[in-house]
Amino acid sequence: MAKSRKTSKKSKARKTAKPKKKSTKSKARKAPAKAKARQTSPAPMKAMRLTFSYEGDEVKLISQKRTEMMVPPSDPVTGFNKQKGFWAELKNDRDKTLYRHVMHNPTRNDAEVFPETPGQSISREPAPKRKGVFVVVVPDTDKGEEVTLSRSSPDEEGPESGLRALASTPATEIMRFKLKK
Amino acid sequence: MGTSDGQVLGPTKIVDAGPPEKRWNIVIVSEGYRSDELTQFAVDAQQFADALLAAAPFDRLRPAINIYRIDVTSKESGAKDPKKCGGTGAKPRTYFDASFCTNKIRRLLVAKNSRVLKVVDKHVPQWHVAFLSVNSPISGGSGGSVATFSKAPGSVEIAIHEMGHSAFGLADEYEYYSNCAESGHNKHSGSEPSQPNITTNKNRATTKWRSMIQAATPVPTTKNADCAHCDPQPSPVAVGTIGLFEGADYYHCNVYRPEFDCRMRNLHKPFCGVCQQVIVKKLTPFLP
Repeated sequence: MAKSRKTSKKSKARKTAKPKKKSTKSKARKAPAKAKARQTSPAPMKAMRLTFSYEGDEVKLISQKRTEMMVPPSDPVTGFNKQKGFWAELKNDRDKTLYRHVMHNPTRNDAEVFPETPGQSISREPAPKRKGVFVVVVPDTDKGEEVTLSRSSPDEEGPESGLRALASTPATEIMRFKLKK
Repeated sequence: MGTSDGQVLGPTKIVDAGPPEKRWNIVIVSEGYRSDELTQFAVDAQQFADALLAAAPFDRLRPAINIYRIDVTSKESGAKDPKKCGGTGAKPRTYFDASFCTNKIRRLLVAKNSRVLKVVDKHVPQWHVAFLSVNSPISGGSGGSVATFSKAPGSVEIAIHEMGHSAFGLADEYEYYSNCAESGHNKHSGSEPSQPNITTNKNRATTKWRSMIQAATPVPTTKNADCAHCDPQPSPVAVGTIGLFEGADYYHCNVYRPEFDCRMRNLHKPFCGVCQQVIVKKLTPFLP
């Protein structure tokens, strides 16, 4: 209910503001270019730093902090529905993805181990029950309402089930929360 | 143990490309350095910065990058080195409690990362990447939001590889999990990976880095004849050729990497062309 009321107020605000933008012909001509620039703008000056903790598969949001900083450009915001991996999405009030950050899964149950001698190979070792923190930074825009985290789960079956299981299925949403306004 | 075992002295900008609000900011924090060893940390941090900025493509992105070091003292030198992993049993009192042998893995060096992030947040709030430089000659490191490395030879290589994961979302391009003799990592049967430098799509017209594959380059460029093992063949094309090389993402077959070799596959190698393009795309907006 709270969400739908908010949406309604915003739509009303948009409708009221619209005629002002079209007050002159020259402004009307420039508007699409400006809108496009805003839409593809890669580097907003305001950001929200989100800090998460994890223990095993459980992930918790522990802080949201507004910061004056630039954010790297978004990863593709379409065409990723059936992909595997780990990512964060910033969404608007219509659930449209505005920004997406693909990450190397910070909650995985193994660890990268580096060789002692140069020339030897990197490898991975199972590291169950890992816990720690990770950080996601998203643009702080008026349109950003919610953040989601999506993750592929390790295979439950197959030759590498158990400790060495790797994720091979499409990612599913594991967390969703509203951004602090 | 912990914050009573040292003191945060503060940040120093060691590579200055401009205001932190407009640049990409790297922070290096000291761990296991006594106050009389901080001069050495300054040298270590500068050497790290120089090595990073000499590596492609960061060499041409220098005007986009600030690097800070944060001096944090510890009461004693080094990191914990538990005997259960064959270590010395040393338990130095350090600010971030860094320890080898995390999860009983000898070279897995991990600290209290939440404590590191608190310090970094406070002193360089615009940070993008955080490193923890541990004053130990033992080889080790770890990734995540705080990439941790020791002073062993090659540690900068570990740090840059980990930055590939944490800052740019790059996948591992090696085609095994523990080693090439293992079983169970024969064929990648999963969905298309979200990372930009690996793919299951071998269609030249639609694969992720199609615009970087020249018409004369065969696709797939290599094919593993025995999916039970890593592919032993040398590269059939010149170094730097971008194509589809079978074997990546911990699997021997059915998944492809863009070049025969890359920093995300082996340390002491440069980033492949696709990884470089990803990094350049992410950092270009930070250029003046």
